[in-house]
Amino acid sequence: MSAPSCLRCLVRPSAGVTVSSLPRSSPLAVARAAPFSTTTANLRPKKEVQTGGAPKGHVRSGKMLQLGKFKKGKAGDRGRTPAPGERKAYRKRITLSNDNAIPVPWLTDLGPADLANPANTARIMALPTEVQDQLRASEAFKPTQCWGMFRKPAVLVRKETIDMANRMQNAADKRHTLRLVVSGDKLTGKSLMVLQAMAHAHLNNWVVIHIPEVQELTTACTEYAPIPNTDPVQYMQPVYVLKLLQAIRRANEGVLSKILTVSAHPELSQSMPPNTPLLALAGAAKEPDAAWPVFQALWSELTAQGANRPPILLSADGLAHMMKVSDYRSPAFDLIHSHDLALVRLFADALGGGLRLPSGGAVIAATTRSNAPRTPSMELALAQREAEANKGLGGPSSSGAVEVPQRDPFFRGYDDRVEAVLRSVQVLRVRGVDKLEARALMEYWAASGMLRATVDEKAVTEKWALSGGGVPGEMERAALLTARI
Amino acid sequence: MPPRLNFWSACRALSVRTRALAQRPQPGPATLARGLADNTSSRLPPHDRSGALPPSMLPANEQPTSPENEAALNQLRLIEYGLSPLDPAVEGHKYGLPELPLPTDKHTKHRYDAVIQQITRLLMKDGKLAKAQRDMAMILNYLRTSPPPRLDPSKPLLPGAPPAHHLPLDPVLYLGLAIDSVAPLVKIRGFKGMAGGGKSLDVPMPLRARQRRRTAFLWILDVVNRKPSKGSGRTMFPHRVAEEIVAVVEGRSGVWDRRTQVHKLGTANRANLNNEYVKGKL
Repeated sequence: MSAPSCLRCLVRPSAGVTVSSLPRSSPLAVARAAPFSTTTANLRPKKEVQTGGAPKGHVRSGKMLQLGKFKKGKAGDRGRTPAPGERKAYRKRITLSNDNAIPVPWLTDLGPADLANPANTARIMALPTEVQDQLRASEAFKPTQCWGMFRKPAVLVRKETIDMANRMQNAADKRHTLRLVVSGDKLTGKSLMVLQAMAHAHLNNWVVIHIPEVQELTTACTEYAPIPNTDPVQYMQPVYVLKLLQAIRRANEGVLSKILTVSAHPELSQSMPPNTPLLALAGAAKEPDAAWPVFQALWSELTAQGANRPPILLSADGLAHMMKVSDYRSPAFDLIHSHDLALVRLFADALGGGLRLPSGGAVIAATTRSNAPRTPSMELALAQREAEANKGLGGPSSSGAVEVPQRDPFFRGYDDRVEAVLRSVQVLRVRGVDKLEARALMEYWAASGMLRATVDEKAVTEKWALSGGGVPGEMERAALLTARI
Repeated sequence: MPPRLNFWSACRALSVRTRALAQRPQPGPATLARGLADNTSSRLPPHDRSGALPPSMLPANEQPTSPENEAALNQLRLIEYGLSPLDPAVEGHKYGLPELPLPTDKHTKHRYDAVIQQITRLLMKDGKLAKAQRDMAMILNYLRTSPPPRLDPSKPLLPGAPPAHHLPLDPVLYLGLAIDSVAPLVKIRGFKGMAGGGKSLDVPMPLRARQRRRTAFLWILDVVNRKPSKGSGRTMFPHRVAEEIVAVVEGRSGVWDRRTQVHKLGTANRANLNNEYVKGKL
């Protein structure tokens, strides 16, 4: 042992570190790196520690008293930790087929006119493969729905479906806009109605723009920025809009590639001469900064006057989030109303009738019951529209019974902007299925091998009654998602 | 209100009425005229003017029109003769009476399969049975949607097990088969101080079916609790359990080794069953 090197690094020969493990070869280099350092452990290169056989861990390991209560759990090898976002992706992943399920021979694919044909009431029909891809691209399927149990995704054609599809078709034929809010109790199939509307639109070559969860827009979880030269100030959400553009592009590839632009868009960074396919325009945004101008250009092209455009379906799920004050803050730290967010404003204008779709189409929004903020104005407006519609239908006998609800004069939480939007919408209330439809559902489940029971009138009535009068989600719980298989 | 005793009510009591009254009897002219003293015009109902009686007050001489009515009348006649034409299993019940004795799964407390019931309770934490039941439903759902297991011939399942591709469509059977196949037949019971020198004497003891299942599932739960979960959310725990069930059926699970170990120990110590002390205790 050389005395100078030991003195220089002030190491005590006994303390855990053997002197032989110290870097003898180049004491000068050590001294140069940190001349006054007393932390020899940091100075040592790691390889030499291992070769020197120095003990790891605490200096007094083995001599310390470890009480059972404070003993650390075994830090076993837990393998690779999941990357950011991976666990959420696993949770949200959507499976659309189950190879164990028995293929149902009588299942037919949906055709363009099938959802509007009353002869198909209470029939299960499969979604064609290309429509599946389109719906998947615009995130119409949700992880809580039971798509993963059957051989291929199929939907029940209900009376409400046919009603809605006919309304859509009428609006498109007359170049009007159907403005519809799908409302109903929990698990009655409101999101499925929107999905069926989208399927109908895709089958008839409409352009479909779908906002899968409105809460992503208004709960302040995506970036926002003020749009210059707007008064009152509006805000764009570039990251979300970029995602939406990509979804629109993938979902409407066939339709958009056939439509050509009518005007040049000088405000875009890329040059877009007239007669470019809209698909190229939709793909022009590569990064969030360019997304909002590109979306505006795309929208102006889709709603261009005089050009022959296909009908447009604007759909959204979770309307209540759109009808509240958002969680975003302005620079003055005031809360921003959702209708000041540009994308939400576009949807709300279309729903309220302020924004006309020249080639016709539909604006369909579904409410949610489980994850919805309280929106008294929306609830009141929907109740009013429904009562008005019932009054119109009922005639003299029921007009006395149906009373249009009015504002509570002692409550001040109402929102005029929301009521203005919902002043003239149609409301489609979705209820439980009737027994014929329930029977169709259960026969499909049984034919797929997922329900191991005889489907007769007794079984259907039993499940129908158990599910609160045929609420389809509850029927699934009672018959499919049970431990009593 | 007491029934009015008059000639027509006596007639009504005699007649056989198979249908409910279509309408209430017409109120008498006096009732109608009440309070209308100034009104000099006649207010009598039209049939009174013609002198005929209201149809509901006439004796039932009309012919039964529908076959149901005919059948009902026939039954009434049979009752009159002292016969009992009504079959309680058919009449008066929309879906018939349940067959007796009731099958066990019709009982509220025994509505699930025995294995499912036991294992749901083993899954339960903090007394939250409903959550355990939801977890169990998710486990079964996972088994239904996962691909058919590839069986390992070195880790044979119970004899008589169906082929692998039948299993996912019957998840209850799948789960029960996995647990019963990996369940140990014996447990080792130590008799203190009997082996000499203060050592305990290991004696193999047979287990009942419920005990065997419990042991096997606790072993499976041990493995599951040590596994990291891949995703997040409420499906994670049931999916981990279900993955381990699949691993058991495919012979990949470490639970098989525990079973082999217990069985080896039992075989090695079976001579201890002849120990005098142990014999007396058993």
